[in-house]
Amino acid sequence: MDELTIAMPKGRIFEEAYELLVGAGYDLPKELDDSRKLIVEAPNEKFRFILAKPMDVPTYVEHGVADIGIAGKDVLLEHDRDVHELLDLGISACYIATAGLPDTEMDEVTPRIATKYPAVASHYYRSKGEQVEIIELNGSIELAPLIGLSDRIVDIVSTGRTLKDNGLVEYEKIADITSRLIANPVSYRLKQRRITEMVDKLREQVGR
Amino acid sequence: MTIEMFEKPLGMRDDFPLITKQKAVLRKQGTELIERAGYELLQTPTLEYYETIGKISAISDDALFKLLDSQGKTLVLRPDMTSPIARVAASKLLREKMPIRLGYYSNVFRAQKREGGRPAEFEQMGVELIGDDSLYADAEVISLAWDILKELGIGSARIVIGHTRLLGLILADFGLDAEQSGKVRELFVAKNGVGVEQLAEELPIPEGKLASFLKLMQATTVADWKLWINEENEEQRELYRDMERLEELLGRNGLGDAITFDISFSSHMTYYTGLVFEFYGAGSGFPLGSGGRYDGLMEQFGLQVGATGFGLRVDRLLESISAKEAEEPHTLILFDEHSEQDAFDKAQQLRASGKRVTMQYAPAVKALEPFTALFTEVIRGEELQNG
Repeated sequence: MDELTIAMPKGRIFEEAYELLVGAGYDLPKELDDSRKLIVEAPNEKFRFILAKPMDVPTYVEHGVADIGIAGKDVLLEHDRDVHELLDLGISACYIATAGLPDTEMDEVTPRIATKYPAVASHYYRSKGEQVEIIELNGSIELAPLIGLSDRIVDIVSTGRTLKDNGLVEYEKIADITSRLIANPVSYRLKQRRITEMVDKLREQVGR
Repeated sequence: MTIEMFEKPLGMRDDFPLITKQKAVLRKQGTELIERAGYELLQTPTLEYYETIGKISAISDDALFKLLDSQGKTLVLRPDMTSPIARVAASKLLREKMPIRLGYYSNVFRAQKREGGRPAEFEQMGVELIGDDSLYADAEVISLAWDILKELGIGSARIVIGHTRLLGLILADFGLDAEQSGKVRELFVAKNGVGVEQLAEELPIPEGKLASFLKLMQATTVADWKLWINEENEEQRELYRDMERLEELLGRNGLGDAITFDISFSSHMTYYTGLVFEFYGAGSGFPLGSGGRYDGLMEQFGLQVGATGFGLRVDRLLESISAKEAEEPHTLILFDEHSEQDAFDKAQQLRASGKRVTMQYAPAVKALEPFTALFTEVIRGEELQNG
């Protein structure tokens, strides 16, 4: 049996993905995420998990240091990585949307857009034929309209709670986001049997 | 903005001596096999016209390096080797010699979008067999590529084979028009299973056929393809028979276990019209090379002939070759004013016997110890005089 290296985002997505894998019948050790280790083995299944920042998962997979990985569609949209998107796992569902202060119009000439997803935001506004200035931020995006840095933000919305708490409203929805099972193109070919087997097992779980 | 002294244009690299050496070995091994299989090596210009090769090459426009010549014509650094070779083959000189077998080892240029990323200049090694539209030609080039991978010692090498034309016919049978097929193909190139499932809901695929449509990405053998072949369509039937024969042929050449027949396998290189294939190996996260049948490309040069070929990427082959190479013996002879003549004689004698010898005037070396550590054997001039 080929060893599979799996890149997983730490935190909530990890737990949900872990449940899915166990549900699919994979024999995994009980406490995988507890340790501070970056690499965890599941010897019974010949899995090796790489615990990574969510944004980095597609990078590991693209370069082939991880055969497969679990990544949010938001990350896949933002970084155009050369990976195979095999299955929609349906976990950590949310969406990317534009938001801003209520009842405001965007600046007519060059509205400013603050976001953690510059590529997604730029693509969205360009497809609408709007000329915008993108301001890339790394966190607390909601702050930008409040302090006059930007007219709108483009960000992940899951419950809408953070927006509401900060007095912002949602304007347009850009894309639905869920976590995806992705694979390196070469690993997919060299370990095709194991990988497709996993896709089939997980598909059953997701369908439930 | 000033340019730092050590900086190079985006995607350009220095090849250090070790890599240069490895490449030379690889080139020798590869081109020898190519020549032994009856292919003649050739070289085409680094610069080509944008209007001809630039447009025909099927490399996206923003990946082309463009420049202007003194007459204001737009030039490109050659982005691939297949189209220049097609041009050469179509020239008067060679078109009477069909079928013609040409091979190459050349660098090609593709501009990179991202900083710190992939090389924008890399070497390719490959062949083109032009003027033969039989499946024996396809089998020949696939087997040759396979021999090269084996010779180089690529671990767990794998070939994936698809068929552009047959896939097109099958998609048409699902009721898709050209635009819809194009979209499906794009998703197939990226193996975007999620995208295909989402798109399938919008496509006019009859209810009962949806399950079989979604299975398109799962085939691994020619027998698996049977599911989608419409026996009433003569062309499909013929192409399918060809695939069966190809599978048998390659199986006989010992490639059987290493091939995946994936009907959904497509290439972003739009000039491929029939068989398409790609090579993979352990050690590199990226495909090692690809190829296929490009009869349509020859038509652009006014020839109605079949053509097929492959190209392997040297940089990825190097990644994939296990780092072996025990340290090669390398002798250093240190001399001074008195021992120069003896040292020279000794060096010539050793070199004549096939050894690698560096001669160095000792007083010119600032730090003797680290310098001599670079060699497997050190001979000092005084030893020679005494001996």
